[in-house]
Amino acid sequence: MEYHKVRDWQKRPELNRLKDLSNPPKELFYIGKWNPDIFQNCVGVVGSRRITNYGKQAIEKIIPQLVFNKKTIVSGFMYGVDQYSHEICAANGGKTIAILGWGIDYKLSGYDLQLAKKIIKTDGLIISEWRTQKPTLWTFPSRNRIVAALSREVIIIEAALKSGSLITARLATKLKRKIWAVPGPITSRTSAGTNNLIATNKANIWLADIKPDPKIIANSDPILDILLNESLTADEIARKLGKSISQVGAQLSLLNLNGQLVERGGKYYLNDN
Amino acid sequence: MLVKIQSIANVGLETVPVDVEVDVASKGFPGFTIVGLASKAVEEARERVKTSIINSGFDFPAKKITVNLAPADLPKDGAAYDLPIAVGVLLASGQLPPSILSNLTKMFFYGELSLDGALRPTKGILLLGLFAQKKGNCQIFVPAKSAAEATVVSAIKVIPIKSLISLVDHLTGLKNIKALKYIPVTDELDILPAEFDLAEISGQEQAKRALIIAASGGHNLLMYGPPGTGKTMLARALPGILPPLSTQEALEVTRVYSISGLLKPGLALIKRRPFRAPHHGVSAAGLIGGGSNPLPGEVSLAHLGVLFMDEMPEFPRSVLESLRQPIEDGVVEIVRVLGHVQYPASFTLVAAINPCPCGYLGHPRRECKCSDKQIAKYHHRISGPILDRIDLHVCVSVVEIDKLAFVNIDQNKITSKIAKNQVMKARKIQEKRFKDLPIYTNSQMHNREVKKLCFLTPEAENFLKLASQKYDFSARSYFRLIKVARTIADLENSPKILVNHMAEALQYKQMI
Repeated sequence: MEYHKVRDWQKRPELNRLKDLSNPPKELFYIGKWNPDIFQNCVGVVGSRRITNYGKQAIEKIIPQLVFNKKTIVSGFMYGVDQYSHEICAANGGKTIAILGWGIDYKLSGYDLQLAKKIIKTDGLIISEWRTQKPTLWTFPSRNRIVAALSREVIIIEAALKSGSLITARLATKLKRKIWAVPGPITSRTSAGTNNLIATNKANIWLADIKPDPKIIANSDPILDILLNESLTADEIARKLGKSISQVGAQLSLLNLNGQLVERGGKYYLNDN
Repeated sequence: MLVKIQSIANVGLETVPVDVEVDVASKGFPGFTIVGLASKAVEEARERVKTSIINSGFDFPAKKITVNLAPADLPKDGAAYDLPIAVGVLLASGQLPPSILSNLTKMFFYGELSLDGALRPTKGILLLGLFAQKKGNCQIFVPAKSAAEATVVSAIKVIPIKSLISLVDHLTGLKNIKALKYIPVTDELDILPAEFDLAEISGQEQAKRALIIAASGGHNLLMYGPPGTGKTMLARALPGILPPLSTQEALEVTRVYSISGLLKPGLALIKRRPFRAPHHGVSAAGLIGGGSNPLPGEVSLAHLGVLFMDEMPEFPRSVLESLRQPIEDGVVEIVRVLGHVQYPASFTLVAAINPCPCGYLGHPRRECKCSDKQIAKYHHRISGPILDRIDLHVCVSVVEIDKLAFVNIDQNKITSKIAKNQVMKARKIQEKRFKDLPIYTNSQMHNREVKKLCFLTPEAENFLKLASQKYDFSARSYFRLIKVARTIADLENSPKILVNHMAEALQYKQMI
């Protein structure tokens, strides 16, 4: 993919936040269409490489809301939480910045390449501080400092007790960024790190008072739209849509059967899985 | 002198002729005996007849009087033989003109006497009328207060009798009593406004739709929901959207009520479909019918109408299980000491179930106080076989009155009149479909007929397969779903069952 160098990044006001770093990057390279606005409202979303189903659900809940609020999602393009965050953001039509843990010239393949294309397509950026640099142990923590610096807030989705995302959290604290951690089950190792951040008062607890975006469902249906905010009975759905109960009933059965809805005690809920 | 007066006995809904033979002997000690398997009520007729004859100013002969009720092996019950016995005594003692004797074969007497000689309302007059009609060209002499029942029977003369004196005056030709006018049944069956209109119930669109489907296809219905959500109101609205009773049906219903003595005096015919809501303390005999001389139970009183069982799990299990036969066959057979009778019992069952014993499980504002064990126990009171015979299960949830106020629900508001029209159209289609079969509605189809008469599109078939995998349907549930879908398709006048019809039918699948 074609990449460019950011000329004199120090002179670009949109990148001022990077100057907070004690060791800012010397150079910056990017793939995509440079638009200064993208750096306005950055939120870092990071987490473990080993993503659990819970982590995925959390991302599916959190990212659409952030996108809705015109935030840019910044993450590290590593498989697991990072890539899933980019993915969901792009799927919701949001802008996302991927900070690479390797040189910009490094050839991507497979899923990585597909995801990179998706990011570019939704006016996102792929950024690296190196031109040619192989991924090694030290490059990832180095990349993390850029993620932390660019973001106003950092949300940690899932992290074990020893996780790279805790480095991002520590760096972000130093840079006086707001830190959020998603609480997890106390039995889950992949949430031990995030729970610990909350327990030691290093991060705010992220509670899902967020409303998922309708765009999250590819196969959109007016019934699904109105069920996003509340669970309703068939009668209430028919009333809201102004449709006959027979039409709505048939549609509910269809949606229920293909797994987009669940019914409990006469009320319909979106199926979050 | 011996005279034979004609009367009848009702055994179940069957009418049997009874000859009341009265002999006033010229020799022997004075006495009054009734023979012929008479019950206590018939035995006591002696005192009523004797006193009322004397109190009416006639002469009660001080002779040996023997009354025989033939056939002698048929048990006879009730006070309806008072009148024929009294007429027999008067005739045999020469207090009535002998010219009547030649006409006696065309006359039926039936009614209970009061001590002052007046006639009291008596049950089963309609059955007498229908029996007399079969014999042809007959007169029936019945108590004036119940005589209206028989006016719907053509080709008979119904003579309403107020008292013994007026009867004697009529027979001697002193003062004629006019026969009641025949009222053709069709005139009576003009579409009546529904007792409860669907439009009176706010919200509950899905339950209303289920009612329409139930009415169209003759399906049984189960409503599931907390108290106070309108389950009873909905059930009461069902008779109003069923098609009006046909002449034959109206007579069938009235017959059952006539034999039970539940027809109000002066009422000729039951024109509305019956709605019966037995209390859950009902015994099996009360529900199915019984007694030493078996009378119809609630299921028969609900014949061609609606049997509503509120709080179904509160009914004793043995009572619920006794519903199986009538639901399946549309008739009940009762065997008792005094005989074996069959009553019709083809009804639509509407059951209401609370989600738990306290009623508030899943209620948006109130807390349920039941333990899991209690809830499971509550649901287990209704056996699978009974649930399997209920085609439609619908959730009736709490209506938020404040929410309703904000939405214009008038646009979707369906009145009983509209619903009834839909139902009647769907019934017409079914009539055509089953013209060569002894069934009338989709719910009565057996699996063989379902396979033969229900055509599914490939998409609908595919949907059904997926659904039965997901919900793990039994073969019975599978066919039940097709039957309901068939009714929904009929409501939309579609010859084939489309995927939409199937999908809507799935809304009403079994929940507990």
